[in-house]
Amino acid sequence: MKRFILVITVLPIVAVLALAVGASDVAHVWSHIFSPFHDVNNTAHQIIWSIRAPRVFAAILVGASLGIAGVLAQGSTNNPIADPAILGTSAGASLGVLIGVLFNVVTIGSIGAVVFAAVGALLATLFSFSLARSALQLITIGIGVSAILSAIVGLTLAMISRPDARSVSFWSFGSLALVTPLILWVLLPIFLIAAVLAWKMAPALDLLSLGDASVRHIGHDAQRIRRKAFAILAVLVAVSVSSVGTIAFLALAVPHIARFINGPRNRTLVPFSAAIGALVLLGADTAARSIVPPHELPIGLLTSLIGAPILIATLKRGGDVWR
Amino acid sequence: MALVEIRNLSILRSGREVIHDFSATIKPGNITAIIGPNGSGKSSLLAALVGDISISSGSITFDGRDITTFSLLEQAEIRSVVMQERSYWLSYSVREVIAMGQGAQAVARIAEILATLDMVDFAEQSVTTLSGGEAQRVEIARALIRDSDIYILDEPLSAQDAASKARIITILQKLRDQGKTIIVTAHIDKSALTWCDQIIETFAQ
Repeated sequence: MKRFILVITVLPIVAVLALAVGASDVAHVWSHIFSPFHDVNNTAHQIIWSIRAPRVFAAILVGASLGIAGVLAQGSTNNPIADPAILGTSAGASLGVLIGVLFNVVTIGSIGAVVFAAVGALLATLFSFSLARSALQLITIGIGVSAILSAIVGLTLAMISRPDARSVSFWSFGSLALVTPLILWVLLPIFLIAAVLAWKMAPALDLLSLGDASVRHIGHDAQRIRRKAFAILAVLVAVSVSSVGTIAFLALAVPHIARFINGPRNRTLVPFSAAIGALVLLGADTAARSIVPPHELPIGLLTSLIGAPILIATLKRGGDVWR
Repeated sequence: MALVEIRNLSILRSGREVIHDFSATIKPGNITAIIGPNGSGKSSLLAALVGDISISSGSITFDGRDITTFSLLEQAEIRSVVMQERSYWLSYSVREVIAMGQGAQAVARIAEILATLDMVDFAEQSVTTLSGGEAQRVEIARALIRDSDIYILDEPLSAQDAASKARIITILQKLRDQGKTIIVTAHIDKSALTWCDQIIETFAQ
């Protein structure tokens, strides 16, 4: 509990620091941050509360979504290197959103986009899973499915010439720059419901770690647990992908960091991973927009830089303990 | 009390018939050992008994009821299983693993089973750090805290030292004396199975 309080306390501190940092130098930055309803027409106030604040909240929301998504991906497949990008979930969500946008059914950041993303994510995940016969196969097939779907998204984007093509393309590489307060209000309740459902099913994920046969022998249906986890995973990935695009490696790395801090129990892993995911993405986004101002670094590359070494370390250490 | 009847059982695996026209009756209040050389279908027979694989022809019944008519939950209520494969990659404690997915009645018996199987010393230890014998006892504990009519154990003594072997045999004998049906597989000579009441042999096809 102490560790969780510590992580939760660090989050608002980093959030306030993130509000203070940015491409433009803002005068009296702290007084504007701590008086959110005072002097609202001031340019400095607007930079902080209309431009930076939505990004900060988006980083927290998407980071938390991906953190829990990682827990569900690894728990449901009983595989420490599973994550939405590797299973094809994120690419499926991207393709879902793209189809919706191309047929003018949805716009990025709408509830419709979340629905298209969730359906795409779920179908892609189920497809990868149905083809795989082992944990290692799941990863290799997932990478293949992911590559095919990403290629379709990339080629489609390269071929279309619409006014909004550029923003769609920008979104497909992962960026928090396009998030608006309205999108956040749409996504927040969806995230909260999915997070509670993930927390409620956490003990079933603990059980899956013993292997499907052990689950079946005591009367539970491993595939049913898994399908439920995939559905929640798809919604969480949809929340993230439909608003900010694909953020690589975060969902893979965060559960490992959370397990290192607080052990493998999924009941605590869900809130821990949400908090750590929020913290990591907030840190990465703040770095992305303040290291070389006014240029913005691609956030997906920064999260890869943090996440990929954890993937390598996990693979090196994993040996033959997987099922 | 549960009578297990195997009638004219055939099992195909990867196109090869590993069990052919096999029949046996396993009585309640007995410890029955299934023995046989490698490749004789011992593991397949056990997998069919616990419902892990489907059979090609014949039948297996528990108290006259075909096991294919049991739901997952009904199967779990009538029989408990200890298989050989186990894969611990997350550092849950021994106590946590024994409790996973179990009902309240089973969870209430954890302290008792830890003492009976001499596991108190490593109850809070991570399962990823256990020796083969200790890990095997974790699986045995997971099965024995469940109150079932039938206990099916795949080579339960294979990784145990002499003291643990004796302890597990005593527990199984006690369960037998309560009228439970105990089925074990073994890879050893008949002469070492004097603690069993019935021996069934499978032969290579």
